[in-house]
Amino acid sequence: MSLVRSASTVLAKELRIELRTHDLTNTIFFFVLMIAGLFSFAFSPTAAESRRILPGLVWMAFFFAGTLMLQLCFVREQTNDTLAALRLAPIDPFAILLGKILANFAFLAATEIIFVPIFSVFYNVSVGEVIGRLLLVLFLGTFGLAVVGTVFSAMAAQARMRELLLPLLLLPVLAPVLIAGVEATGELLAAGHSVGQMWVSMLAGFDVIFTTATWLLSGYLVEE
Amino acid sequence: MRNFWSILSAYLAAWAIFFVYSATVGRRLTRLEEELRRLKSRTGRDE
Amino acid sequence: MMLGKAAWNLAWWAVAIGLGFAGYAIFFIAPRELTMGSIQRIFYFHAATGISAYLCFFLSFLASIGYLASRQPRWDWMAVSTAEVGLAFDTVVLITGPIWAKPVWGTWWVWDARLTLAFIVELLYIAYLLLRRLSTEMDRRGMISAVFGIFAFLDVPLAYFSVRWWRTEHPGPVIAGGPNSGLDPRMWHVFAFTWLALLALMILMIRDRYRLEAMRQTVSEWKAEEELGVEMAEGKEVTQ
Repeated sequence: MSLVRSASTVLAKELRIELRTHDLTNTIFFFVLMIAGLFSFAFSPTAAESRRILPGLVWMAFFFAGTLMLQLCFVREQTNDTLAALRLAPIDPFAILLGKILANFAFLAATEIIFVPIFSVFYNVSVGEVIGRLLLVLFLGTFGLAVVGTVFSAMAAQARMRELLLPLLLLPVLAPVLIAGVEATGELLAAGHSVGQMWVSMLAGFDVIFTTATWLLSGYLVEE
Repeated sequence: MRNFWSILSAYLAAWAIFFVYSATVGRRLTRLEEELRRLKSRTGRDE
Repeated sequence: MMLGKAAWNLAWWAVAIGLGFAGYAIFFIAPRELTMGSIQRIFYFHAATGISAYLCFFLSFLASIGYLASRQPRWDWMAVSTAEVGLAFDTVVLITGPIWAKPVWGTWWVWDARLTLAFIVELLYIAYLLLRRLSTEMDRRGMISAVFGIFAFLDVPLAYFSVRWWRTEHPGPVIAGGPNSGLDPRMWHVFAFTWLALLALMILMIRDRYRLEAMRQTVSEWKAEEELGVEMAEGKEVTQ
């Protein structure tokens, strides 16, 4: 089977499970909503302040939501003992990872589409004119999060205290994404409405480098 | 020399870290060597 | 072990004396820097330690690739030894940096590019050691940590550029900068000597840490054999 076909089979399986249970999406929706409220209580920002802190807040909220969600990605396979079956399947190991990466990306991207307007209302920052570019920046960063997060979720699944371990592995590696994402979002929300090419290429570069690394190393990660 | 104490404390802090780290590695090594000797005598290896 | 125990002890003493002499040179031979004054003397071991730390992480990256390519446990031992020693060196950078920053910038900590990078790298390799410590599937641990080691090192240049574009207040690299940025020859000599002494220290530390990891392996193998022997003596059915 070709890579695309087998990856989309895995993706379809992940989406089907999610559509049946809604476990992941419900949890992260509630999580992001809660963060949106809590930050406002913690800082009670004025209009000018919210313009300044909103980019960081949005990224932190999605990062933590993503970390929470990614815990389950391989643990779920383990508790149901289905990972062995996946490993035995006659497909490219990268296809398994890619399917899961795309599924995690889809869940997070859906959350972002819903929550960008909500953040904009809560913090009184208008995003109407830049919504397309804003989502592009968010999706680029989220894809990086999904790639590295899925790989690390596979690594942490076998460890003790894995719920604690995953964020500790993931967040330091994502530091460049956080910096680039927050800066790019900040530029978009500021008066200029334009986004620096530098930050976008940093986000894209992160995605390309780690997708390639995952592709090259997938055989070691998925093997029995 | 201005800032002499800053320089000296930075210098000493660096050596303290190197020393403490090397000492912990050395201690772990000694402990393992002892364990190895114990295992050797018990299993009667002639290595 | 190619060298006897006595030779390695001698090497430790030589490094200790070399580092002592480097200290003397830093305080008494190196000339006073004009704009920053004496505080610049921290530079000699701060920068030399920093370079050595990144060298360690690079070696760890190579060892991780070596392990994936060959599956020889010794590459895994090398990867963890270099990562841990690199972490010790990076810790020194993180401590001497603020001591230098206080008189020059007026605050202990500034989110300057290079200091931030050292901080991110510290977090990355602490995560690496944690992953190793918390892994339960010992036969897959080497592979998993090798993949993480590769990911962590690939992240370093990205982190470097992101923090550099983000903000930089750090004095530029004076060694290989523009035409007027060179070091005084005497400063150069002191720096080169300090760095060589630190490199020698780094090699000795890596060697000790490597021996520790190799010995751990032997101990766990022997223990397993011993347990197997006891079970067989007790007449239990031994599987595997």
